[in-house]
Amino acid sequence: MTQTTLLLAPLITLLLGTAVGFAFSHPTLNARLPITRQAWLLALFPLIAFIILLLPVPALNEGQIFLWRIEWLPSFGLQLGLYYDSWSALFALIITFIGVLIVIYAGQYFNGQQDAWRFQVYTLLFMTSMLGLVMAGDVLTLFIFWEGTSITSYLLIAYKYKDPEARAGAFRSLFITGGGGIALLAGLLFVSYVSGSTQWTEILSSGDQLRSSEFYNVMLALVAFGAFAKSAQFPAHIWLPGAMSAPTPASAYLHSATMVKAGIYLMARLNPALGFTSQWFFLLTVVGMATMLCGAYLGLKQKDLKGLLAYSTIAQLGILMMLIGQEDEESYKALVIGIVAHALYKSALFMVAGIIDHETGTRDITRLGGLRRAMPVSFAIALLAGLSMAGLPPMFGFLAKETLLAATLHPNLQPVLAAVSVFTGALMLAQAGLFVIDTFLGQPRDPTVHAHEAPQTMLLSPAIPAALSLIIVLLPGPKEESAFLAAAAAAAFGSKVKVSLALFHGLNAPLLLSIIAITLGSVIWYFRWPLRAWQDRLGATLTFNRLYTGVLAAMDKGGFVATRLQQGKLRTYLVIMILAAVSLVFFFMGWPTYSLAGLTWPGLDFPGEMALLRFFSLLVVTGSALATLVLNRDFYAILAMSAMGLGTAVWFVLEPAPDVALVQIVVDILSLVILVLTLAKLPRAQRLKAQRMRWAERPSRPLLLRDAIASIAIGCVVALITLTALTSRPRLSQVTPYYIANAKEETGAADIVGAIIVDFRAMDTLIEITVFSLAGLGVFTLLNYAARTHGDHAQGEKKVRRTFSTLGIGGRRASPFLRAPAYALLPVALVLGIVQMMFGHDQPGDGFTAGVVIGLAVALWYVVFGYTETRARLPWLRASALIAVGVLLAIVNGIIVTLFTDHFLGNVDYGELVGLPLPGGFHISSSFLFEIAICLAVLGSATHMLNALGHPGEEEEGTA
Amino acid sequence: MELLTALTIGTLFAIGVFQLLRRNVIRSAIGLVILANAVNLFLLTTGAYLGEDPAYATYTGVGQRIADPLPQALILTAIVISMGGTAFVLAMLYIISARYQTANMDDVDNLKN
Repeated sequence: MTQTTLLLAPLITLLLGTAVGFAFSHPTLNARLPITRQAWLLALFPLIAFIILLLPVPALNEGQIFLWRIEWLPSFGLQLGLYYDSWSALFALIITFIGVLIVIYAGQYFNGQQDAWRFQVYTLLFMTSMLGLVMAGDVLTLFIFWEGTSITSYLLIAYKYKDPEARAGAFRSLFITGGGGIALLAGLLFVSYVSGSTQWTEILSSGDQLRSSEFYNVMLALVAFGAFAKSAQFPAHIWLPGAMSAPTPASAYLHSATMVKAGIYLMARLNPALGFTSQWFFLLTVVGMATMLCGAYLGLKQKDLKGLLAYSTIAQLGILMMLIGQEDEESYKALVIGIVAHALYKSALFMVAGIIDHETGTRDITRLGGLRRAMPVSFAIALLAGLSMAGLPPMFGFLAKETLLAATLHPNLQPVLAAVSVFTGALMLAQAGLFVIDTFLGQPRDPTVHAHEAPQTMLLSPAIPAALSLIIVLLPGPKEESAFLAAAAAAAFGSKVKVSLALFHGLNAPLLLSIIAITLGSVIWYFRWPLRAWQDRLGATLTFNRLYTGVLAAMDKGGFVATRLQQGKLRTYLVIMILAAVSLVFFFMGWPTYSLAGLTWPGLDFPGEMALLRFFSLLVVTGSALATLVLNRDFYAILAMSAMGLGTAVWFVLEPAPDVALVQIVVDILSLVILVLTLAKLPRAQRLKAQRMRWAERPSRPLLLRDAIASIAIGCVVALITLTALTSRPRLSQVTPYYIANAKEETGAADIVGAIIVDFRAMDTLIEITVFSLAGLGVFTLLNYAARTHGDHAQGEKKVRRTFSTLGIGGRRASPFLRAPAYALLPVALVLGIVQMMFGHDQPGDGFTAGVVIGLAVALWYVVFGYTETRARLPWLRASALIAVGVLLAIVNGIIVTLFTDHFLGNVDYGELVGLPLPGGFHISSSFLFEIAICLAVLGSATHMLNALGHPGEEEEGTA
Repeated sequence: MELLTALTIGTLFAIGVFQLLRRNVIRSAIGLVILANAVNLFLLTTGAYLGEDPAYATYTGVGQRIADPLPQALILTAIVISMGGTAFVLAMLYIISARYQTANMDDVDNLKN
């Protein structure tokens, strides 16, 4: 198996599993297989991934590292890569192994809830992200998967989304871990900037460079913040108890073995690069110790079984983080053993907690008790896992605590560390006692709680890790086992670590400390009730929820202040923006200093009639624009606006820019039609009210002045910029000579503007028609939506009546003198459009003009015949279909051309290839097809606009 | 002529913005169209001003001054896009008027809640 397949196969397998899980969302498929069976099927995928990940372990033990990498954006030095060494393997194996158990367990847990396929999909997605996180080979891949775990865990925690508590818990976890993720990204960017690479291979070998960098403290703080948030370190630990509102399978998976270990994974991974400094030592030791104490202390007072487990997890995470900070062989040995032991016993205990909840209906310690009679197998499992958690022999947990204590006794370290560790161990023992003894032994505390044993298949999943907690130490299997752990520790530590799984090392100091911890723990457990009562009296002052709520409240407050500034009137914002833009222009450009010497006022030299015409168009444009201001009725103002557009077209003709002028004319008319249609749709009363209010209202005078000042200011700026553009720049743009020289040979077009549109910048045009099509679709969708929500009646492509009212758009009958030309005009427009497209390459005009011209003919039909009749008479005019065909044709045409020219949207003359005899100037080329595509899309979009706005409202139809 | 052109474009811009700031939704739409036209004219001035012949390949080499085709192509795109944008804005204005029963922008003040 090559490195590539070896590394990609597990991820792809899990993604396949996700896809299969998602397939069960289909009702018929879902109904065919009960959720428990689905779980067995889905569990195969992580199992296969586990086996694939297990295969290279012998090679890993010899120190081999598996790598895979692809260039993503080579110009930015960005790659995606995977990296698989012993340290990754330790986590990858835990993730997939526990993953198998969890998927099976979830099937049982959700037995009877067929919609739990959603949970399985989230779980498998999370598993993929988590696996990708520990196998990521560079900063970027790591970050992507890191965020992936945040998002998927959010989905898992909020699985019972109808429960507000679940949503709050999920949000809190996303808020904290997501915030940490951003800090992490910033930190890792520093790391890759200093080390000069985003790859682990480079980063891990440039430790000296990183440690001596001036950014060391910043990057350490940022990276550590991200890792601490993810791994629930003090004081960011508060999200973990909140996340207990997740379904138990999710808690068992995320919060024991996987997600919370991501921070541990990352810090230890970076140890060779960032570690071995006093900052590293103090940061990790202090935070780790605080977390240990906080988790162990708060765990003891929990009533909820899962809450208790959550806090003991926090304590354990603190221990692990603290161990990473200690730079010696012994600590890294304790680290790997601690990780494995904790993953095994904590997942088993979580699953047992889920079983208790499932079978008794409560997780409240004060109501449970004496469950061993009803649930003997669960008791056995809980006992095994609980002993391991308590750190009692002969369990794996004992070994973990032994090695931990041995590590804290290292001569370099202060005795305070050993004391804290002993105290935490004692509290964890007491918590294990609460979980096992107070739940399963003694007498039932609440007679209303009825218990019965869970089905065997449900017990299987917790039984396996619980049993492993015993088996690993009792039967210290093949040498590979300890060799593997040693290799993992060595990968994180940076040099060789020895690990043995033997339980007893003789009477020594760690054993003594262990005995002290056990004794102290027993005492604490014995006095558990008075202690808990005392803790309750002490109150919630020690929780940091207040900090979190404080931060959230501050953000809300800030938001409130910000919204005060936003009074919701867009016009005010616009004025502020305009004035700001104007001030920025003057601030940075300074007051215009160039002289107006060469320019004479008004400069009417009239060398020929062209200049006179230019002056005329200028007058028309200005005059009609002013008229829109002065005219009182909206309809007249719209007409003036249209006149201004036509004046602009004259200006274009004189430029001379015939293509632009043509498009300007047709677009101007289409805009006019659409604007009038909208005007007709607005209720008359509203229109009149808005119209009257224009100048009349006295109180608006200051506002009028404000608007006038803003408009004149921006007008002055634009005039100045235009003047500069006209007087002080070279004539042709840089690329224009190229276009002029090559248009004929490369595109076969005499019209250079047309050549630019359909060939040189064809991609622009493709995007342009897509945008135009989207605008049409948007209008259609918006008005459909309005029709549905505001009681307007349904629009769109509905069935139309066969009898016509023969009424025009305003509900008035159109004269026959209008109807006859309208009939004749549509075919003429069609022919005109086709001619435009055929010869657009050498003459003004193009597919766009053709589309709009046909659209205008259709618009005339709407006006003359009314909506209903037009729709019935023109069944081929199906807007969405036209858009779809047009855009698809444009893209397919572009792709086919790549076969001939290697350029997307290049130019091929098919007519010439086949040798068709065609009239001069007409080519069946890819450009011609592109023109047709443009025409279709534009026609479709224009039809949508006309359909939507030309559709009769209720009152019109009432009169019809 | 340069001065006059610049002044015209500036005036159009000012009128467009002023109309855009009106409370009557139809006037706002008119303002938008005027602004679009003004911007297109402004784009035109970035090309060769006062060309004598349109940009056709058949004219090259004769020694005449031809208009710069690049800004023209860009304007062509701009015209189309602004037309689509105008239609979309109009649909939105219609919906706002249907939803709030008014054609006065200032009555539409609870968008933020």
